[in-house]
Amino acid sequence: MSHLGDLLSALVDGEVSGADRDRVSAHLARCAECREEAAALRELKRELRSLAAEPLDHADAGTAMTQRLLAISAQAGAAGPIVPAHQRKHHIVPARIHGGSRGPERQRGPERQRGPERQRGPGGPGRTTQPKLSKRNRRFLVLGAMSIMVTLGTAAFSVGGGTDTAPGPRITPQYELYSEEHAIDTGEVPLTGPPAGSSTSPELEPAGQAQEP
Amino acid sequence: MYVTVNHRRRLALLSATMTAAVTATMTVTVSLLVAACGGQPASQTRAEALVSTTASSPQAQARTQPRRKSSPLALGLLTKAAQAAMLTSYWGVEIVTNSGTDGSVSEFESEVWHVSGGQTITQTQAAGANVSAQPYQSEDLNGQSPEGVLGVTQTLVKLLETHYVVTYGGVAQLDSRPARVVEVWRADGSLAAQFWLDQATDLPLQRQVFTDSVSPKSAHVISLDAFNEVQFGVPSQMPAVVPAAAKAAAMATMAPPVLLALNGHGWVVKSTMPGGLTLFSGGRTVTKSGPVLDLAYSDGLFVVSVFEERGKLASTLAGWQKVKLGGQTVYAAEPDEGSLTWAGRGMVYTLIADAPAQTVVAAVGVLPHDESPGFWKRLSHGFARLAHLANPFG
Repeated sequence: MSHLGDLLSALVDGEVSGADRDRVSAHLARCAECREEAAALRELKRELRSLAAEPLDHADAGTAMTQRLLAISAQAGAAGPIVPAHQRKHHIVPARIHGGSRGPERQRGPERQRGPERQRGPGGPGRTTQPKLSKRNRRFLVLGAMSIMVTLGTAAFSVGGGTDTAPGPRITPQYELYSEEHAIDTGEVPLTGPPAGSSTSPELEPAGQAQEP
Repeated sequence: MYVTVNHRRRLALLSATMTAAVTATMTVTVSLLVAACGGQPASQTRAEALVSTTASSPQAQARTQPRRKSSPLALGLLTKAAQAAMLTSYWGVEIVTNSGTDGSVSEFESEVWHVSGGQTITQTQAAGANVSAQPYQSEDLNGQSPEGVLGVTQTLVKLLETHYVVTYGGVAQLDSRPARVVEVWRADGSLAAQFWLDQATDLPLQRQVFTDSVSPKSAHVISLDAFNEVQFGVPSQMPAVVPAAAKAAAMATMAPPVLLALNGHGWVVKSTMPGGLTLFSGGRTVTKSGPVLDLAYSDGLFVVSVFEERGKLASTLAGWQKVKLGGQTVYAAEPDEGSLTWAGRGMVYTLIADAPAQTVVAAVGVLPHDESPGFWKRLSHGFARLAHLANPFG
């Protein structure tokens, strides 16, 4: 039991002042037991404070989460809702937090919504339709992707043909030599003349003329 | 010296040849009938066959009277003709007419000088810009297998005996020279070819090759070689030629078993070709672009030579035309369209054929080809190539 009684707890709570605070301090300077008890009480109070602070932090986290969700909602409102095609005309979207607690409301297609609830600015209260700019951007995105695919496909088709990957040198058939050999096999008169203009031997053929025949 | 050959002359030549063939057959038929009546040992079958020959075309006769065995006399005559082509000295003008793979008719005219046991020089009249008019000296300087002897060589005669039935057809007149006729028959009884051999010297003077047609009416001559204006004896004047050794590296001859052993070792060596042609000769020649394998297929009458070389076709092939043959894209040399080239699986194939069009088409079809890739394969190949180009670490 403390020598100071309730004054000790009042000291820990910071509720002692004036002459009582001086008396308590003088006693604590002399009494080790009371100092230990005062220290234990302070430690206990810190623990209690820390325990009490956790629900407080959760509340803060919940508030932060709510704020993030609101921010996402605002961004989603600016970009337009992602709605399956079959729900485009009659789809349900949650009621906007900023717009009050009206609950889910039936969303009309942009071409039908002409009332005062139609919002033109992004993130405005009651806004439920797609802005024209996002649709155009999406169209540009699709066209750009298609253009890239067509360009790459054309390039791939162009370079994908031919037999340039085959190993070995480029061969011009040596018609005269072959004809002579064939004549030996047949016992006939060889046609010794090469085809017109084929006098270019393979090793003399400029490499820059590489074109698949 | 050259004889101008035009379309009219070719037709006249073909007509005269056919007339000579019929005349020869009739002469022999009458002789055999007379001999038979006089008690000579002529078989009834032989007489009936020759009588039927006079009554209709040789094809029709052949269908009803198929022969099963070659005549030793006929084979001996062809063997003597092959020897005479080497041992006799002569000069003459050879006219070769062939039907191309596209139905066109090509014709070449050449002078041939030959000295017994020695050199053979040929000089082909230029056919446009595609055939050289320069004299050509055979690489066979000892007269063992010289070119330019109407396709009658001892090797081909042996193949004829193996693949055909060879018979003696009698004596006929050819350009006022008596000639013995040797006929070559297919196993189905159709006439494949006729050889006219000079009676005095045994030298081959003419060779006709007929189509293998089921219908006798559609059978026709697909090849006609005629050796005209023949003069015997050592030619007084022979053109100067470049020595053969300076023109091309000598081919190392290889026997068929050795050639077949190369199959599967980077070369494609088939033992047979469509049309019943068998590998009978070949060799290896080293050129500036690498080794070339020569594969010769024949049945004694038709010859297909296949040349294989590693690599891919040159970017430009002057003098060759892109043609579609049996569903395959190949390049045909302009002189006679009997020379074809294409690439397949890292090899370049060049085929030179003295054979019917269907045989050539079939031969082209059994050899490898680079097939044109389909759309998706080509696209995939292209993306892979682009990725390879774009890869900084590749």
